[in-house]
Amino acid sequence: MTRRRTHVMATVLTIGASCLLLALLLWPMVALQWRAGLTGVRLLASDAELRSALALTASTATIVTLVTVLLGTPLAWLLARNRIPAPALVNAALELPLLVPHPVVGIALLLAFGRASAAGQALASIGVALTGSRWGIAAAMLVVSAPLYVSAAREAISRVDPRQEMVARTLGDSMSRAVWRVTLPQARRGLLAAGIVMWARAVSEFGAIVILTYNPRVASVLSYDRFTTNGLDGALPVAAVLVLLALVPLALLRGLRAPSSADADANA
Amino acid sequence: MRPVFVTMLLPLLIVACRGGSSAPADTLVVSEAASLSTPFRAILDTFARRTGAVVQVENGASLELARRITDLHRVPDVIALADEEVFPERLVPAHVRWYARFARNRMVIAWTDRSRHAEDMDSTRWREILLSGDVIVGRPDPRVAPAGYRALLMYELAEQYYGEPELAARLAARTPPGNVRGSATELAALLAAGEMDYIVEYESVARAQGFRFLSLPAAIDLGDPGRGAEYARAVVRVGRSDSASGVGTDSISERRGAPILYGVGVPNAARHPEMGRRFIALVLSEEGRRMLRAAKVDALAVPEIVGDSTSRAP
Repeated sequence: MTRRRTHVMATVLTIGASCLLLALLLWPMVALQWRAGLTGVRLLASDAELRSALALTASTATIVTLVTVLLGTPLAWLLARNRIPAPALVNAALELPLLVPHPVVGIALLLAFGRASAAGQALASIGVALTGSRWGIAAAMLVVSAPLYVSAAREAISRVDPRQEMVARTLGDSMSRAVWRVTLPQARRGLLAAGIVMWARAVSEFGAIVILTYNPRVASVLSYDRFTTNGLDGALPVAAVLVLLALVPLALLRGLRAPSSADADANA
Repeated sequence: MRPVFVTMLLPLLIVACRGGSSAPADTLVVSEAASLSTPFRAILDTFARRTGAVVQVENGASLELARRITDLHRVPDVIALADEEVFPERLVPAHVRWYARFARNRMVIAWTDRSRHAEDMDSTRWREILLSGDVIVGRPDPRVAPAGYRALLMYELAEQYYGEPELAARLAARTPPGNVRGSATELAALLAAGEMDYIVEYESVARAQGFRFLSLPAAIDLGDPGRGAEYARAVVRVGRSDSASGVGTDSISERRGAPILYGVGVPNAARHPEMGRRFIALVLSEEGRRMLRAAKVDALAVPEIVGDSTSRAP
């Protein structure tokens, strides 16, 4: 009897705690859509500034994600296969930008690559300015979101058995060809998911970007700007649109995580 | 045991959060314009030391601070703005019954030793240098920060004062959108970081940051309370995207020149209005004015109360 009561109590508490957390996570988004979702969708058609901010945000995040895939996938493989000196140190370095408040990331970028630094002067000589430009947006997005890609890509690659790379090598492939032909195809869903997570994080960045670039405005800066200039009623439709658009990467991720027929066959 | 642990944890969490949100009676919450953050520091420290109050400060652009009260209902005990006109425009009487004008400021051109043509900058060459193509000139966003539209008003007054047609438009065009920032203090940080050569700034901020700066003629610096009619001849139109209507059109608000005066008040819905009044009494006192002057703010010799004088002013 006592065991049964404990079991019932545990079940009730588990369900209650889960519902409470889900409500805390979802209710603000639902309330936002309820209040301004329709106006937000209409705004997409009529507000050129919003469309421009969304296009700037999405295109910059896409470019930054592609660059990170090119630079980060080799690093993720090195980490997954333990082929890098001091991997713990490298992992810690990758996690640091995730732990630092994002305005601090913006300030650090300003010091490292701003006009007064040696690197900044070199960049200026080729026409690249970090502040008030798309370069600043890209730099901020990259630093705060690339660690997510490398971390997730490392996990995806480490799930591929390294012995398969060895087999390919015994058949005459170089290591890079073995990785290209064997590892990456098997890890592709995980790598794609890592890219989507990184893209979504880059799109939602505000703190680091606003330090470097107030104009041109990305979507997150525009939503805050609408609040300061037009008040809550002005900011709500923009915020609602941003939440609706966040559903796109979410749906893509869900699609990737659903087991494919090939996976099902393999498991069978 | 585990369910019991979880059962205890939730109420504990709720109690902990309640403790954080309801400020105790001896708390003072101050919303202050970003350009006042340094000048108010000594006064806030003195107030906290004498009263034992816990002081919580929120910084922001003046319009944003007003929005926090009117739209978000985040009501502080004291609101201190860089533009006293925001009080009658947005806060009085629904949110604030009275406020005190307590200090004035001026617009200046600020730069550092690293700025291009730093050694050539003076009262005769400032227009020529700002208009030259090889310097980066920043100014605050006129839609958000009072310093932003005041920079444009100063340009208008300069055009009239020097009799140079199109001067205001040419000076404004020297700042591309990328060099427009949300607040005067944000702009000052970028000048300090070497990202800009010259900024149009409040004198108090330039002094507090240790920048080199050029004092402009009183007829154009918006700093003389006796020249209100003269300043009012300058008008700028400030655009803002009107998304509230859902049609995405641009609406224009008109800003007319006026002397730069700081205002401070206690919101009607303040949780600790008595604390707020005591703090304002310190700001307006001889001691408070001395501390403001030490922080490079030009405190008025005789502060002026505006609004419902029958309510409890300090």
